[in-house]
Amino acid sequence: MAVTLGKRKRVGRETVSRIETAPQDAPNDSDQEDLQAIFRRHFEAKFKPLAAPSDWDGISEDEEAPVEIIEHSTSTDAASLLDKQAQKAFMSSKPPTSTSTSTTTKPKRPTSPTEADGEALNLKNDLALQRLLKESHLLDSTTSYSPSGSNRHKATDIRLQSLGSKSSIHVQEKMPMSHRRGITAKATSKEERRRREAKENGIILERAVKVQKTTGGRRERGVGTPGVGKFRGGMLKLSKRDVASIEGPKKSTKGRRR
Amino acid sequence: MSTTSSPPPLRFTGSKYLVQRLVLSTLTGRPIRISQIRSNSTTSPGLLPHEISFLRLLDTITNGSLIEFSMTGTTLLYRPGLLTGSAQGYGADTSGVLKHELPANARAAKAALNVLFTGAGVITSSTPSTGDISVDTVRTAILPLYRNFGIENNIELRILRRSNPGPGNRGGGGEVQLLFGHQVRLPKTVHLLNAGRIKSIKGVAYATGVSAANNARMIEAARGVLNPFVANTYIFSDVSSAPLVPDTSKTAQLGARRKIGVGFGISLVAESSTGALWSADVASPAEGAGYVSAVAAPTVLTLMAMGSEDVGRVKMGRDVLGTEEVISLARDLRAFGASGWGLRDADEDEQGDVVVSVVGRGVGNVGRKIA
Repeated sequence: MAVTLGKRKRVGRETVSRIETAPQDAPNDSDQEDLQAIFRRHFEAKFKPLAAPSDWDGISEDEEAPVEIIEHSTSTDAASLLDKQAQKAFMSSKPPTSTSTSTTTKPKRPTSPTEADGEALNLKNDLALQRLLKESHLLDSTTSYSPSGSNRHKATDIRLQSLGSKSSIHVQEKMPMSHRRGITAKATSKEERRRREAKENGIILERAVKVQKTTGGRRERGVGTPGVGKFRGGMLKLSKRDVASIEGPKKSTKGRRR
Repeated sequence: MSTTSSPPPLRFTGSKYLVQRLVLSTLTGRPIRISQIRSNSTTSPGLLPHEISFLRLLDTITNGSLIEFSMTGTTLLYRPGLLTGSAQGYGADTSGVLKHELPANARAAKAALNVLFTGAGVITSSTPSTGDISVDTVRTAILPLYRNFGIENNIELRILRRSNPGPGNRGGGGEVQLLFGHQVRLPKTVHLLNAGRIKSIKGVAYATGVSAANNARMIEAARGVLNPFVANTYIFSDVSSAPLVPDTSKTAQLGARRKIGVGFGISLVAESSTGALWSADVASPAEGAGYVSAVAAPTVLTLMAMGSEDVGRVKMGRDVLGTEEVISLARDLRAFGASGWGLRDADEDEQGDVVVSVVGRGVGNVGRKIA
């Protein structure tokens, strides 16, 4: 806007000066000389003599040089404004990590509802396929694609375990000790037989995993119960070992004796 | 400890690269003997204050090192001890060289290294007289290089007080703390071959004791030059007051203090798309193509030479490789028992860069091995 204003002004001034100077060149000069002399004489008579006229003859009117515009303002666009985060990262005492251009772009939204539906359908099919692959051994030819009855429980168990369940739901927690012993004895004898037969046939099996007996630590007790002895029938019974552990190691008084 | 088993000292002459040789000696454990240190100088023969400060610093951060001077200070015998790394409240008369070379040591230290540079003579800006880089450049261009070698945690360079060179380009009152808390047994083998293209330029304009308008003008001018090339140019401003040091002139009253280190400067770092860094100070303009600039080349090459026994490669420009520092570093490393470098032209390159292959010497971190 400023530029156009200036241009218009300059054009106007030039035209005016041309109008002034062009038609009456010589007479104008002499007239002005006379006028100035008259004024000068009048002034000197009234006040005091003026200094000799200088060489400077005013601003030349018909200069062709265009007006030069120098801008001192700086561009302060949004990009050049330093974000505080970058400054903090760079000016901290730590050596700056490689420039992490702050990617604040949001995750792309699905453009249309049909696309979103398709994605959901895909996920659903994917899940169904995964399940089928995992549980297909439970299916028999008569049933449909979803297991039923006891197989359904087994499938549930597989899904739970894949989700992070620690133990199977089919493991019986409580049973008579003789049953449990029997089960473990059977398992060990089975394993032992398998290994023996493999050895006889010259088959190399995987390394046997030794099961460590967890007899070392004490069992977890309730809060507030005594930490030593057996509490049974409203009575805390201390064994000899418990008593010894409470008393601590016997100090041998042999050396001290005088 | 008897010194009968220690090898005979390596002999060097001249005052040049004194700090570099001391660092290599400390890292490799070879004793050195440097003679004819400014022996021709009639005004100030022997070691200069900042070199003595560096020796004192080495003495502090190592355990059991032995330093002997001759009477005139023109000969120096240094038997390095074990780097333990504990130096706090260290009053020194330092210059940029020191901050440049120290981290090379620090990575091999046993415990975290914590050094505080204070006292009259600490200059944080670049020094035009000696061509040293500023602390900002060390922090933003040199220290990130250690990341390539797998050294990146707990490294800090705190500029507690800024100072420019005092009158006559000497003296200052800055305060800098270097924390180097990541010690590794061996630096990783690096292959720095692709320099990439510059993607951003960052920098710090600092003014101490002068008007902040200087910073604005510097930033303005720098952006004017750089913006047409890289629009991603950020230069930050740091304005601080001049440091005060005790006035030691004869006319001064007891306990009087005077301002020192007034001035301004700028430190620029260009980062490429592959993580290469080129820095520029007023005192040390950016030079060199390839992955490392002339300023960073000694650091990178030293770390590579001290790395695991494998061939590491780095691409650098011919002008960087041909600098006096790099060549003398190669000779010194050779003297300290490192293997020579292999040089070959980078094939696909049109700029005539050179690929330098360095076999690591496997200089383990003794402290780490024990700990």
